[in-house]
Amino acid sequence: MIWRYRAVLIILILAFLAVLSRLFYWQVVKAEDLSRLGQSQYERSINILPQRGEIKTSDYFQIVTNRISYLVFANPKQIKNKNEASIILSSELGIDKASVSSQLSMDKYWISLKTGIDTQEKKKIEDLRIQGVDFEETFTRFYPEASMAAHLLGFVGKDDLGKDKGYFGLEGYYDRLLRGKEGAVIEVFDALGRPVLAQASSNPENLKGNSLVLNIDRAVQFITDEKLKKGIKKYGAVGGIVAVMEPKTGNIIALSSFPSFSPSEYGKFDSSLYKNPSISNLYEPGSTLKPLIMSAALDAGIVKPQTKCSICDKPVSVGGYEIRTWNDEYFKDINMVDVIRRSDNTGMVFVGQKLGADRMTDYLTKFGIGTGTGIDLQGEVYQALPPKDKWYEADLATRAFGQGISVTPIELLDSFSSIANGGIRMEPHVVREIQTPEGKTIKIVPKALGRTISENTSKVMTEMLVNAVNKGEASYARVKGYRIAGKTGTASIPIAGHYDPNKTVASFIGYAPADNPKFAMLVIFNKPTTSIYGAETAAPVFFDIARQLLLYYGISPTE
Amino acid sequence: MKKPISVLIIIVLCIVGLSIMRVVVSNGISTSGIALDQIQTDIAYYKIQNINVKQKLLSISSFNYVASKASSLGFGESKSIISLNKSIPLAKKP
Repeated sequence: MIWRYRAVLIILILAFLAVLSRLFYWQVVKAEDLSRLGQSQYERSINILPQRGEIKTSDYFQIVTNRISYLVFANPKQIKNKNEASIILSSELGIDKASVSSQLSMDKYWISLKTGIDTQEKKKIEDLRIQGVDFEETFTRFYPEASMAAHLLGFVGKDDLGKDKGYFGLEGYYDRLLRGKEGAVIEVFDALGRPVLAQASSNPENLKGNSLVLNIDRAVQFITDEKLKKGIKKYGAVGGIVAVMEPKTGNIIALSSFPSFSPSEYGKFDSSLYKNPSISNLYEPGSTLKPLIMSAALDAGIVKPQTKCSICDKPVSVGGYEIRTWNDEYFKDINMVDVIRRSDNTGMVFVGQKLGADRMTDYLTKFGIGTGTGIDLQGEVYQALPPKDKWYEADLATRAFGQGISVTPIELLDSFSSIANGGIRMEPHVVREIQTPEGKTIKIVPKALGRTISENTSKVMTEMLVNAVNKGEASYARVKGYRIAGKTGTASIPIAGHYDPNKTVASFIGYAPADNPKFAMLVIFNKPTTSIYGAETAAPVFFDIARQLLLYYGISPTE
Repeated sequence: MKKPISVLIIIVLCIVGLSIMRVVVSNGISTSGIALDQIQTDIAYYKIQNINVKQKLLSISSFNYVASKASSLGFGESKSIISLNKSIPLAKKP
């Protein structure tokens, strides 16, 4: 009998073990899968679309915001009459019929037909009631001011995973701050699929990206955009730049450049237009660099305003090259004030030789030439200055009047602004504050980068520049009644080892009012054709914009 | 030792009362699905409406739009700067 008991016991133990192992399988091994299966019957995860942060101008106008758009997709397996559907969809969506037809004939459950359609277009297609066609809500960038400041703003494209990514300008530089966080909300449904009040997993408001408030003044940006466009047309230039900065803070008030692109349709433009020439294009500044070299020589005590040039009565021969003035006129014993007023190259060679390569390099470095400005825009470039021992005699002479040295427009404006700011160079900055989705505001404080020249030198240089405006080549265009400091520039363009005599970069740089500057501005025309000179192209546009800005800021004349 | 009957009764009543309340509340919430669904539909609708209105508002308050409107109405750019350097006399002798 005992064996029977034992057999029953063993069978029971085996059965018990089988049940136990099965329970272990369901409760431990498959626990997560079962839990997920159960949850799927009463829970649904709804993806929350991340909303990219907005970009606002200094008046809190949303120059870049988001609009709702839709992705039209279809399930080809649900569409019965594919030919009819492709005819209707191609005409409504404005795409080729053959393209729609070939997509609908695919053996797939999901095909994308068109992205970026608006609410009205969506409604039209909805009203057609085509079975198997549906929509997905997305956010796309909307630009109320169209292509205003396009280079400055950049654009939003897609990354390798098809997600939104900022490229160029502010969108590129502040991409991580602007992009929203992806999130999901769990909703509980009853047996009939109706939602039941349940705990949401996250607050959708906190998924939004940070917003940026800029130093860019929309009115000033509009003025510079309009004046620059007209100037390019009037002077037959290939392109142009206007950059306006507040010398005391480094705030960038306006940054215009043409030819440009439309950020909402960036794909339709040549990719070479995406780069912001104000920060990404190097050029030889020509005579607009002279104030930096002259102020360096004044600051170092090498020359005084009344110092006479002993080599300016004829062309100067340096290192086998003959250096001439722009109009081939030479003045014996010309003083430094007139060297700036007449934009005398031989006078600047005299200053450069007295200053020497060591001191010139030191001062240019203090001015931030060859180091980059640190502006908060994607794509800034700079060309480092050559080492001190690589400066040859001819380099020293030509660099003194702005040839043989390359800078970006923003680099030149920032260094020049330090003269307007009593010798203190500020970091140029486009963004004023960051607004978080939680409602906090992070202010960006102006940052001083160091002293370039003494306050006294800056005052002397200002007087020399005011004199250049009032009595120089561009005096016909000046704004009467105001003291404006400025300097023209006409730089030849280097081509294959020599300078093209007919193609120039014409520019004008200055600040106003000279005694208490509100703005510093640089105007550049690339290869103007009506005249090659800065005094006849960039200067009138500079003073035209300056007149508007003085009116806009309510600054009264002083003379 | 006397049994704390009154305490037991209170506890039992509490349990029964809370259970009934839970059933009532759960029942009330679970049948709010239709209303909730409607609220969510309304929220989505107003959200879209708000964004569309904001888009329209931004478009018509943009400088590009205002400038083109002003130009079509005949407004031009002020070319001269008028400033008052001296105080204006209140009255002048003829």
